[in-house]
Amino acid sequence: MSSATTRSAEFEQLALPLLASLYNHAHWLTRNPAEAEDLVQETFTKALRAFDSFQSDTNFKAWIFRILRNTFLTTRAGIAAARTVFLEDHPDTLDTTASGPTPEEILLRLDNDATLHTALEQLQPQLREALLLCDVEEIKYKDIAVILDVPIGTVMSRISRARRTLRQLLQPQLGESL
Amino acid sequence: MNQTPQANQSTDHLGHDKLSAFIDGELAPAEKQRIEQHLSTCHECTLRVLSATQLKTATARAGQRFAPPPDALARLTAQLHSQQAPAKPLQTMKTQANLPTKTPARIFSIRPAAWAALAAAILLTVSFLGWRQLHPTNTLAAELLDQHLATLSSSATPQVISTDRHTVKPWFQGRLPFSFNLPEPAALPPDTTLKGANLTYLNGQPAALLLFTIHKHEVSVFLTQRSTSPTLTTLPNTRSGFTLHAATTPDLRIVAVSDVNPAELDNLIASLVQAQKPI
Repeated sequence: MSSATTRSAEFEQLALPLLASLYNHAHWLTRNPAEAEDLVQETFTKALRAFDSFQSDTNFKAWIFRILRNTFLTTRAGIAAARTVFLEDHPDTLDTTASGPTPEEILLRLDNDATLHTALEQLQPQLREALLLCDVEEIKYKDIAVILDVPIGTVMSRISRARRTLRQLLQPQLGESL
Repeated sequence: MNQTPQANQSTDHLGHDKLSAFIDGELAPAEKQRIEQHLSTCHECTLRVLSATQLKTATARAGQRFAPPPDALARLTAQLHSQQAPAKPLQTMKTQANLPTKTPARIFSIRPAAWAALAAAILLTVSFLGWRQLHPTNTLAAELLDQHLATLSSSATPQVISTDRHTVKPWFQGRLPFSFNLPEPAALPPDTTLKGANLTYLNGQPAALLLFTIHKHEVSVFLTQRSTSPTLTTLPNTRSGFTLHAATTPDLRIVAVSDVNPAELDNLIASLVQAQKPI
């Protein structure tokens, strides 16, 4: 029992610094504050229960984000999200080369966060998820692959596609504001 | 761009996926080196890398959007702590005896309010601040690097072009809420030249960006007012292969970014620190 308590203390020590990150990510997944809180709460419960299977030489952040994601997939919103068809095998559906941006257009002015927020919200959930894990959480591709349960090549192409899509989404809005 | 970038990524311009992996620092050293070599001769790809880096930094900032409301933060912290050392031993046993999935989460959320409030107070001051500080540091490093990369683009001309410190310093007067001194050319380290300067912003604070060259290497030096600039103590020493070194004087924070060897970068910083000392 005392060793179990030590183990829970260890869990708290590892999980507490990630609370804000987990909540932020949960909010992006659920798109709702109350559901985000429930999701983090359930993640903590499940993670502590599974903590014995966590190996200390592996990445705790990737491990708990994976639990967060798997928990999300069991919720109603998560089931709906998983049901959407993802055109991963048809990269040609995203036409980025036909009218390639000029170097001037490439240098986007990104000081307007609201514009980017809107674009992020419009992004396909699977693409957004991978991009946020990479850019916001600064998790390496190999760990993102573990979290999303996909090959590392898929992680790379999702992140790349997310960025191209974002750029496309940003361009017309910038055109308006100029 | 006549050809699609992906069609010839092994020999020519960077494909989308490679570019993305490159800015994420996910490529093997040999491949990274090959791309860096290509970038040194390809203006178009350099601009694309710069643009992608800026988008990455902006995403990192925009993606950190949802902070838990104080009451949710309190409940979640309380949950974590009660899982560790619950007040009632009975609950410890229930927790560790693997209760059915649905109940535990809700049990923890109705822990005594006093404990929740205490936990919230602790978290707000410790963890939350830590989170806020940790991320901006990374963002700041990325911002510094972005701005440095922007100066490398051949089309970028400094707002004030001069090797003369007597031109550069007065140019900032009225543009910056603080002033600084520039070393005499003789006081600069060997083969170090001031090329010009820009007025820029770091974390929303006005900053002087001084552009130097050491040998053939471009160096960006950012000067900000110490009282208003964020803490840089945890700024990484390197980012994406560039060196970031910082120093402070009683009034200023100085951060230099370059790919020149770190010792020479330090010499330049030292000469700038020296120039701020009253004679």
